[in-house]
Amino acid sequence: MTTWRRHPVLAETRVLIGAGILLSIVAVAALAPIIAPHDPNHQDLLRMLVPPFWKDGADADFPLGTDGLGRCVLSRLIYGARVAVIVGTVVPIGTALLGGIIALVAGYCGGWVDWSVSRTVDIWMSFPPVVLSLVLMVGLSPGLRNVILATILVDWTRFCRITRGAILGLMKLDYVSSARIAGATHVQVMLKDLLPGIFPIIITLFSVEIGIAVIVESVLSFVGVSVEPHIPTWGVMIADGLVTVFAEPWGLVLPMMAIILTVLGANMLGDGLRLSLDPRLASRPSLEV
Amino acid sequence: MFSDAGTAPLNARNGVVPLRIRRVLRPIVATGYRVATVAIQLLIVSIVVFGILRILPADPLAMMLPPNATNEDAERMREAFGLNRSIPEQYAIWLGHTLQGDLGSSIQSRLPVGQLILTALPMTLELVFCGLVLGVFAGFCFGLITFTWRGTAVEKAAEVVASLAQSIPEFLWGILLILTFGLALHWLPFIGPIDAKMLVPSRTGFLLIDTLLAGRWDAFFSRLTHLTLPSIAIMMIKAPLIMRLLRSSLVETYTEDYIDSARLRGVGEMRILFRHALRNAALPTVTLIGVQAAHTFGGTLLIEAIYSLPGLGNLMIGAIRTHDLPLIQGITLTYCAVVLLLNMLVDLTYLWLNPRLRAT
Amino acid sequence: MSSLVQRSQVTADQVIATETQPLLAAVNLTVESGGTKVLRDISFTLPHGRILGLIGESGAGKSMIGRVIANQLPRGFAVTAGSLPFEGRDLLALPHHEHRELLGRRIAFVPQEPTGALNPAKTIGQHFAEHLKRLDVPKAERRNVALAALADMLMPAPADVYDKYPFQLSGGMCQRVLIALAFVSKPDLVIADEPTASLDVTTQVHIIGLLRRLQDKYRTGVLFITHQLRLAAHLCDEVAVLYAGDIVEYGPAGPLFRRPRHPYSRALDTANPRFSGAWQPLSSPPGHMPGLNEFRNLPGCRFAPRCASAIDACVAEPPALRVVADGTVMRCIRDDAVPAAESVAGVLQPVGANAQSIGLMQVQNVSMTFHSGGLFKPKAETHAVKEISFSISAGEFVGVVGESGSGKSTLGRMIMGLERPTAGQISLDGVPIGHTAAEWRRRIGIVQLVFQDPRSALNPRRDVLNLVTQPLQSTGHLSRREMRDRAEVLLQDTGLPKDVVSRLPHQMSGGQRQRINIARALCAAPRLLIADEIASGLDVSVQAQILNLLLRLKREHDIALLMISHDLAVVRYLCSRVLVMCQGEVVESGDTETIFANPQHPYTRELIAAVPPEDLTRNWTQLGAVG
Repeated sequence: MTTWRRHPVLAETRVLIGAGILLSIVAVAALAPIIAPHDPNHQDLLRMLVPPFWKDGADADFPLGTDGLGRCVLSRLIYGARVAVIVGTVVPIGTALLGGIIALVAGYCGGWVDWSVSRTVDIWMSFPPVVLSLVLMVGLSPGLRNVILATILVDWTRFCRITRGAILGLMKLDYVSSARIAGATHVQVMLKDLLPGIFPIIITLFSVEIGIAVIVESVLSFVGVSVEPHIPTWGVMIADGLVTVFAEPWGLVLPMMAIILTVLGANMLGDGLRLSLDPRLASRPSLEV
Repeated sequence: MFSDAGTAPLNARNGVVPLRIRRVLRPIVATGYRVATVAIQLLIVSIVVFGILRILPADPLAMMLPPNATNEDAERMREAFGLNRSIPEQYAIWLGHTLQGDLGSSIQSRLPVGQLILTALPMTLELVFCGLVLGVFAGFCFGLITFTWRGTAVEKAAEVVASLAQSIPEFLWGILLILTFGLALHWLPFIGPIDAKMLVPSRTGFLLIDTLLAGRWDAFFSRLTHLTLPSIAIMMIKAPLIMRLLRSSLVETYTEDYIDSARLRGVGEMRILFRHALRNAALPTVTLIGVQAAHTFGGTLLIEAIYSLPGLGNLMIGAIRTHDLPLIQGITLTYCAVVLLLNMLVDLTYLWLNPRLRAT
Repeated sequence: MSSLVQRSQVTADQVIATETQPLLAAVNLTVESGGTKVLRDISFTLPHGRILGLIGESGAGKSMIGRVIANQLPRGFAVTAGSLPFEGRDLLALPHHEHRELLGRRIAFVPQEPTGALNPAKTIGQHFAEHLKRLDVPKAERRNVALAALADMLMPAPADVYDKYPFQLSGGMCQRVLIALAFVSKPDLVIADEPTASLDVTTQVHIIGLLRRLQDKYRTGVLFITHQLRLAAHLCDEVAVLYAGDIVEYGPAGPLFRRPRHPYSRALDTANPRFSGAWQPLSSPPGHMPGLNEFRNLPGCRFAPRCASAIDACVAEPPALRVVADGTVMRCIRDDAVPAAESVAGVLQPVGANAQSIGLMQVQNVSMTFHSGGLFKPKAETHAVKEISFSISAGEFVGVVGESGSGKSTLGRMIMGLERPTAGQISLDGVPIGHTAAEWRRRIGIVQLVFQDPRSALNPRRDVLNLVTQPLQSTGHLSRREMRDRAEVLLQDTGLPKDVVSRLPHQMSGGQRQRINIARALCAAPRLLIADEIASGLDVSVQAQILNLLLRLKREHDIALLMISHDLAVVRYLCSRVLVMCQGEVVESGDTETIFANPQHPYTRELIAAVPPEDLTRNWTQLGAVG
């Protein structure tokens, strides 16, 4: 094994593949204006539903064909990656901060603080996430910022519940009391003893959340309450593609593949990180007779 | 001499009420407690929904009015919906009506919200039920298979398939299944709840039951084929979760001493798996179904839209596109109520499966 | 007539009857894992109706022998040589189904953790029903057979227990159920693997007594696996002492216990605190039993690195078994070899505080009451600690003894300030102490607590330097250099080498971890140390090292100690004063020697009676079998 893969995280193939997929999507999104052959919103009504290059009747100008309004599918896919990248970055950060901090405080303080946080999470989780995000979007009105806000408001509970469970597990260990006896303040205990302990879980949840954010955005786009109409997204492409599926299925299949690839990348990264960061697996005790 | 004679102090209180009566009372009290909890939770949920739709920036009135409305129209509307009052007042009025079973009328269709929901709900429940049954069944089968062949290529293959299945959200599974089994292979129908030519009198609203009640086997069969693809879409998401959890809790259960102990009494491996390990290992799985209830119901929303099933999800999407506030409110509450009730059922099942909780 | 004499007469008859066909024998049994010999050349014989003890610390391989008999070696382990004839049929050569036929019928097991060994989802009755069905007992009779078996275990109300789930029973009751299950088929061989390790001392006597009673009644052969030499000496006919996969000494129990010959058996003896006779410093060999991964570096005698008499020949190849006295064999090439011993300089018997010394800490009428119950449950009050008053002087070692649930740990946590007493007052240096931030700082400057389990008390992500200097980090602004210096002093104080400073907790042995745990508490330079069962998870030789360390610290730093323990011998070794706790109350307190020699309270008497005495002629194992 080469030296740079010595670290347990980098030795995990899933981490490398997952991170590779996600980074490529980020690169595509960043370079969109350079690599996209057309304006994603330009309609060419003379060339509608052109099939992709490997089928008969393809047009060299549109490598992946055009949709029902004659827009370039490839360009829309490339620009759609931008929304996915923004949502897939900001939402996990937001949910991790909101859910993580609330969980840390609730788990450490216990008592009524913990009780009220748990009850709030219970109530929140009785909403189907799709329904809650739709209702929030109705209240907030469409727009990229509101999509991000709504997704964070829906998904912080997942973070909070799992992180809180992990913290309660750590609180059972004596090393938290030990740190207090050694004179650490509450904040020091939370930052130095609890946070490092739940870090693997946070990292794992974070990467899984990337996929979830992309899915939620596509669901909202599909229903038609996501970003402003002129911004191309994969979800909108799927909704449009479904209408013309009988004439040209590739306009539907390609954005689906983009979403699936993103989610797969995020899940692989998450799985790989979970396995390589889990202290129970990493610090395997020596065999005992 | 016997310092530990007798049992743990747990049962020291048995003297208060005779044991037999306590045994009968206990499940009733437990159920009552949970019903009360659900009621309180629903009340809070209603406040949250009301709050989101009234306090957040979007003006409900502007959303409800047709684009060509005059100021007079707006004023009339405001009064008709009580929007000129304060928000707590509005809530109180709405709650009062709701408790009497009146959820208001849809702005779009003018039909009572309650009636619309009741017509649509059975469709959704039928779908969730079939999806869950398939998912649990497949999850348990694969969980047992991967556990039995753990550490072999079988487990690895199942794991890869599960990862892939989980990376595709329900609605994309719905579309993929349509593309393959519907459009490409023509194996199964994918539009509507049942063959459009078949008319079955509605008695329960559940088409599977109605077709049987009417004695229409052809319609029942048609319903089943129409249900297959959307149910599989739900299964594809549920089964990997259940498979993984069941396998890992089986692995954990097998590290328990009582498994070794049974083996040392000469109990056979099959009996150990099915009589000793499975029941204990299934407990976290049952909890998972409860925790996932909200996800399962949310998942049907887009599936219904994709398969043109006239259920709650389709109703909801229509309401959102037309900003039909009373309908949105009613449907959201219904979703939550169903989720909470399912949670409660799971809770009670758990109680029944786990003697440790039952006895205390 | 004493029981020993009775027993030896019985066994004399037995020997004649079974000389030809032993119940179970191990012949040159070797188990390997990855090329390492985990068990080396194990041979023993267990005649019908006798008890053979397998003695050793954790890692000696004693449980592995049970697993070989059960045909359940962990993955990666395999028997590579030897045979295991059970009444002449080699268990290792039996087809799987024939072997399984024997389990539960002719060979039965009594497990280590009784509460975990019963399926939590099944009642006791269901456990019996399943087992009796397999034993072909007709359905109609099953209940009666089960009740009779439970009654055989001297249960007060078998029918009640029959309908209960395991979690509704105490550990001792669960173990009785498991013994009843094991004996219900009247097996020829019972393997009991540390059956009392997780139970309270007073329960232990009863379990041992019952085991002995049933063994006697059915003439069962018992393989008794334990780490307690003295317990084995009372119960067993013969014992085999294991060290790192070798049987180092094997022979009749009494003589071996009275005069151990192998240096390791001697070390076990001298490291074990005594409960009678004059106080004398414990001596134990340095280090600990090697782990599996160290075996390959020890081709010869595996005890040699810890042996004072080791010569080059010891290290070269494994010593052969040789007969040293009638019936006793040992695996040592030297006569009268002695184990190496850590220095006991500075280890002096603790004496009571002198009358003039100032009270360091006072506890006045302290109580801890938990309230439970609620809307649908009856309200209940649990008194974890009830109106306790006592004080500790500077440099005084005080012991708190009691069984699990006696409230002794809660008492320690309250003094540390981790829990607030519901009534009463705690004073340090004569000044009452409360729970404000300032008082907390004052408290942790005077009192420190060493937790029982260092695995849980040491943050697995901090290295040793970081751990032992933890008390300095929150306040001081010390440089890394100064921290390192301080850490080195602390490591030296606790007898650890300097080079562990950059290790993580999981890279150290249990004894080393416990030393780190103590070193961290010492870093705050406390005047009172509360030690909650800090030696109970450790092997005897390591425990002795820790106990001596505490005595040395007392001399060097004039530290006071509150030793919370269930082990009376440990408390007798360390403490000049003792409190006996039972169900939250102090039932007796005073000078250690006086109380242990002349206990007044019945509970104290019961505790003392539960300790296996040095004197083997005392009929200890029959204590519990008396209803």
